[in-house]
Amino acid sequence: MIQWNADLARRLQCRDEDKKELAPFIKRLMELDRKARNEGFLSLESELASIDDPLLAVGVRLVMEGVSGEALEEILATYLLIEERSGWPFLKSCVTIEGLLALAESDDPALMARKLLPYFGADKALAALEELER
Amino acid sequence: MIESIAKASRSFLEAPRVSRQKKDALFEQACRVALVAQEARSSDKAIDKAVVAERRKLLKAALAMVASGASAEDIEAAMAAQPKAEGGAEGDPGIELERAMVDSGCRALARNEHYSVVMRRMTAFLGPEYFDKAEAWLLERSKRRRGHAESLVVPGELPDVIRILAMDKRNLERAMRASGRDIATAALAGCPQESMDLVRPLYGRVGAAALEDEAAHLRSKLSGDEIAQAQAAFLEVLRNLEERGELRLGPEDELSADPAFVAALTRAVLGLDTAVIKGAFRLAEGALVATAMQGMEPQAHDRILEALSKKEMRRILNAIDDADPLPRHAVQGAGRELAARLFETAAAAKSPRAELERLAVVRDWES
Repeated sequence: MIQWNADLARRLQCRDEDKKELAPFIKRLMELDRKARNEGFLSLESELASIDDPLLAVGVRLVMEGVSGEALEEILATYLLIEERSGWPFLKSCVTIEGLLALAESDDPALMARKLLPYFGADKALAALEELER
Repeated sequence: MIESIAKASRSFLEAPRVSRQKKDALFEQACRVALVAQEARSSDKAIDKAVVAERRKLLKAALAMVASGASAEDIEAAMAAQPKAEGGAEGDPGIELERAMVDSGCRALARNEHYSVVMRRMTAFLGPEYFDKAEAWLLERSKRRRGHAESLVVPGELPDVIRILAMDKRNLERAMRASGRDIATAALAGCPQESMDLVRPLYGRVGAAALEDEAAHLRSKLSGDEIAQAQAAFLEVLRNLEERGELRLGPEDELSADPAFVAALTRAVLGLDTAVIKGAFRLAEGALVATAMQGMEPQAHDRILEALSKKEMRRILNAIDDADPLPRHAVQGAGRELAARLFETAAAAKSPRAELERLAVVRDWES
């Protein structure tokens, strides 16, 4: 569900240089999604050791546990809101949450990519999609 | 943008400024609320008792609202109207954190959510460092839960569909995840225990216990029509996944053994000498026999069991209890293997030719 508001739009703003990190990060989320779909969600256990982002690690574990939908969204949002963040860390966290929600619904990785595309901004979305699909 | 973040974007909490000691105390509050959520499923008085026992003013007031039947929205409004300085300095991050946690937990309690979700919701306010602690608590609670509840089987195709999906665990998992926990648990509430046994290994220990608890709870809460609606919604999700090419279900007749194979194996077993059955089954693994017996008529089961000693019979019955329903290729494979072993024993015992021929037909069956 896309819910823009002015405060968040401001908070999401970050340098173009930081945004370059977005595509590889989304690719990583798509890899996790692919692995879960091919090998089962419990196979994500083996990925946890290589995840250094606490929000992503906690989110993956919640998804493995079977938490989904509105409860998952609110729990992950809580993890985000207990610390005041802005710029790249905030953008990355929002993408993480949206990606985890797609993972929990067992979305196809291509669908996940399209759900995360708006975070690149309208002017960069098409180029980003090409990169994600390569 | 995620709706929950958009709605709450102006209420960032300053959890890092809250002391470890305060966070530990808040964790204990989360445990108390989750415990009430668990006990409220089986006792109408659980929330009233918690109100009396609770000593924290804020939590006591919120629990009292839940006990009076207030909705989640009423609780949210009441918590938002609480004076900021209640119990501490204006804008005290510890007090703000407690308010947010109590609000979240008691709203979940009012919505009758599963205690594991209540716990996860509340402890999220304490940060990822409390995730493992919450997990340990949940695992401990799940060990204490009661055994299997009574089955309420709503007539329909779902148990068979789950068996088909389980032939490829990825299909079953995709269907469960895509339908979402609410629909999946409500649908499972009307299925036999066998369906739950197939689904449970897809989740971790906490998740599996939550799923089973939730299905048992919904079984006692929902009407047969409501469960049937959930099952229809689950099947609709399946159809959508199939249309999108995300699921490929095998033909339904692959679920059980070929009737001609069942007839041949039954005939072969019924014609066997007791000594041959005793000899062959003494050496056969329980799992092989239990699987092969899924491809026999009941009279062949009786013939086998009456030929065995009490000890052997118990071993085979235990193996049957432990066996999952298996697809055709597994059942027929086990049936052929068993027929081959019976053939060897029968040949060594110089059994009549007709007996050997009947076993050879099964042993050489082409699937």
